[in-house]
Parts: sequence; structure tokens; C-alpha cells
Amino acid sequence: MFHTTFYLRRLHSLVGLLALGMVLFEHIFTNSMALGGAPALNGSLAMMELIPKPIFLMLEICGIAIPLLFHAIYGVYIALQANNNPGRFGYIRNWQFALQRWTAWFLLVFLIWHVFYLRIFTKGITGTPISYELLQSYFTGHPIVAVLYILGMFAAIFHFCNGITTFCMTWGIAKGPRIQNVISVLSMALCAVLCLITLAFMGSYFVM
Amino acid sequence: MAEQKTVRFVIERQDGPNEKPYTQEFDVEYRPGLNVVAALMEIQKNPVTVDGKKVAPVVWECNCLEKVCGACMMVINGKARQACCSLVDQLKQPIHLQPARTFPVIRDLLIDRSVMFESLKRIQGWVEVDGTWEVKDAPIQNPYTAQTAYEISHCMTCGCCLEACPNVGPQSDFIGPAPTVQAYLFNLHPLGKFDAPKRLNALMEKGGITSCGNSQNCVEVCPKNIKLTTYLAQLNRDVNKQALKNIFNK
Repeated sequence: MFHTTFYLRRLHSLVGLLALGMVLFEHIFTNSMALGGAPALNGSLAMMELIPKPIFLMLEICGIAIPLLFHAIYGVYIALQANNNPGRFGYIRNWQFALQRWTAWFLLVFLIWHVFYLRIFTKGITGTPISYELLQSYFTGHPIVAVLYILGMFAAIFHFCNGITTFCMTWGIAKGPRIQNVISVLSMALCAVLCLITLAFMGSYFVM
Repeated sequence: MAEQKTVRFVIERQDGPNEKPYTQEFDVEYRPGLNVVAALMEIQKNPVTVDGKKVAPVVWECNCLEKVCGACMMVINGKARQACCSLVDQLKQPIHLQPARTFPVIRDLLIDRSVMFESLKRIQGWVEVDGTWEVKDAPIQNPYTAQTAYEISHCMTCGCCLEACPNVGPQSDFIGPAPTVQAYLFNLHPLGKFDAPKRLNALMEKGGITSCGNSQNCVEVCPKNIKLTTYLAQLNRDVNKQALKNIFNK
């Protein structure tokens, strides 16, 4: 008997932590170059342009698009199986459980907008290269966009960091309450650090 | 301190499985050490609401009255717990009673928990006895895991963990923490362990352990303090190993 549900759930967990975790870190790393101003960010974007176009596109499809679509679509199915109840059972982990699903819904909408506007429309259809100047005018021209992007990053960072904790439970890595607690605290600390970095590089567009 | 005379109960009632729920309020004479089951017995003796209306007595279930059988599980002030060990002195008043709606409601506070029995059958929650041993010759429990087995064997399938779990309900097919963790109890048994691969494969099916979303409400509400999340993590480890065997042993 082939346990489809089991393998899909485990794949969902792996893809989220490894593939999409890497995408998140790449975004934080490249975007934090904005702290060094236009030369730094444009320089690191130019570095990525050095990768031959077909290989870059394959990486985008296999490393981002397919994992993201799978994680999102199967994630909707998982989220619909939960009847979030932190109002009745207000324990920290239950709040994190509900937040994991609420951030997922927000990210679903945010990522459709983000990918369609910046990657498919701006870069793909109009052929405008992504640059420091483009992002700066986009964010400072529409502060609400900057706010939504910061919220999108916060949601993604929380979803990823809480995902580390649940990954360790789902894969049976952290068994007892002590180690589960330690991992939960460490991943929430990572969440705070990554959120601060996001605030810093997003804020730099407005002060420079 | 003024002597408290009565205790107000706000009870969510329902006349039948498909009837609309409604609430009624009752006053019960206070006495020291009063618990929710004893209060429900008083209401049964004199089913008159605070408005003075005589109504049908409230239906609920109880057996042992000492937190061993699990039958009197209901939602008391929003939390799933045993009515027999819920002392009025420790509850905020008025006391709200509701049926545990994770399960089908039969009438008032009486619910149908047979879904848990079906789940126990699914995970093979028993030991195959082949009758080859005299009692004295049977293999002994591993003394290093006996304490854990004893702890899990306290499970009385009351259903608190299923009521608290956000992933158990009509929207999901998750069998819930209690039946899942029973698989570990029987996997620890000196004879039950021979069927461990069967149980682990059953847990890998739809609605099995993969439906656990790690909200960890189960361990918070378990009236028997069973470390459910610890054993769920252990079972996660075990099913992953079993999956590797399934893939690489053929």
C-alpha cells in the first residue's frame, strides 16, 4: 500500500524548510545589500545576471516556482483541515499553530501579487531590469506598498521560523518538551533577528 | 466572607442529534466540595430553570466519578475536561457547560465517542495473544519502558485531546492524539511489538499521524497528564523509519 498522504505531507515539510527557506534567505541576503546603497544592490543583482539566462530560468522554475506552487496548493489543503481555536485554548504553541495558517493565507495573496508584478510583469513583460532605483521609487512613491512588503516579509519569516520548530517535531528530531522548547525559542529568536534586518533594509530606501 | 447560597449553571442543551442547540440556566444549592457531576445530579432531581420553568432533566454521561473512565468529558467554561473532578470552588461562575462538539451530540451533554473506538481498531490497539505461554512464562515488560507504557495505558479515551485539537473535527479526517499514541503503547509491549510495522503503516494512512499539526493542545488538556506530544514525536520518528524500510527493503 502506497501512503500518498504521508509522502505528500513529508514532502511539503521538506520543500518548505529547504527549498523555500533557501529562497527566503536569498531574498534577505540580496535585499540587505540595499543597506550599502545603489552600487551594492545593483552590483549583487548584476552578479546574478552573470548566470546564463537558460540556466537562471531553469533554477527559477525548479528551485522556486515548482516548490512554491506545490507548497502553496497542498498548504491550502492542510490549512483547510484546521479549525483554529487559540481563543478557547490560548497556549503559546496553539497561537503559533494558528499564526502559521494565518500567515500562510496572507502570503498566498502577497506572493501572487509580488511574483506577478515584479517578476512576471515588470521584469518579464516590460523588460525593465530590477534595480535599486526601481525599488526605491516603487517603495518611497507608494509607502503602502513598502508597508505591505514589510508585512509580507514578516509573515514569510515567521512562517519559516515556526516551520523549523514544527519540522523538528514532524521528523521526530526533537522528541521531549525540553528540546522542543529550546528549538522553539531559538527559532523565534532567529525570527526576531531576520525581521530586524528586513526593517533595516526596507527603511534604508527612505533615509538614503 | 458571606456564605454562598447557590451556584448558577448555564447549560447548552439540544433535544436530539439534529435539533438546534439552546441554553438554559439552573441554580444549584451550594455545598462544600460540590463538583459538576454532583450539581448535574441535583438538576436531574429538580429540573427547574431559574425562571421557574419545569423542563426535561439535562442528559449527560458518567460512570466512575473518580477520573478513571472518561465518560463525563464535557466543555466546562470553554475547556474540555472531566465533570466529575471539576470542583465548583475552582471554577469561575456562572459555570458554562457545553457538549464536546468534536463528537456527534446525541442529546444535551451526551455525545457519541464511538469514533475513537473505530480509530483504535484502525491502529490495531490490541495485542495478538496466541496462547502458547503459561501466565508465568510469558515475556516480561521491558523494565526501562514499563513506566512509559503505564503512563500511556492511563488513557481513558475521554476525548479531551480530540476536543482541543484544531485538526480534529468534521473538516478533517485526523483520528486524533489519543488513538494515535495508543499505537506506541502496543508497540512497546513485549508481544505487541511484533505488529509494530502494521500499526506504523496504519498511522501513515490518510487521517493518521501525518494530520498532526503540532498545536500541542492535546498535552495541555490531557486529564491524565500523558506526554502526548513526546510520544507523537517518537511515533513520527518511527513512521519515518518505517517509510524508509518500505522504500528500500523491496
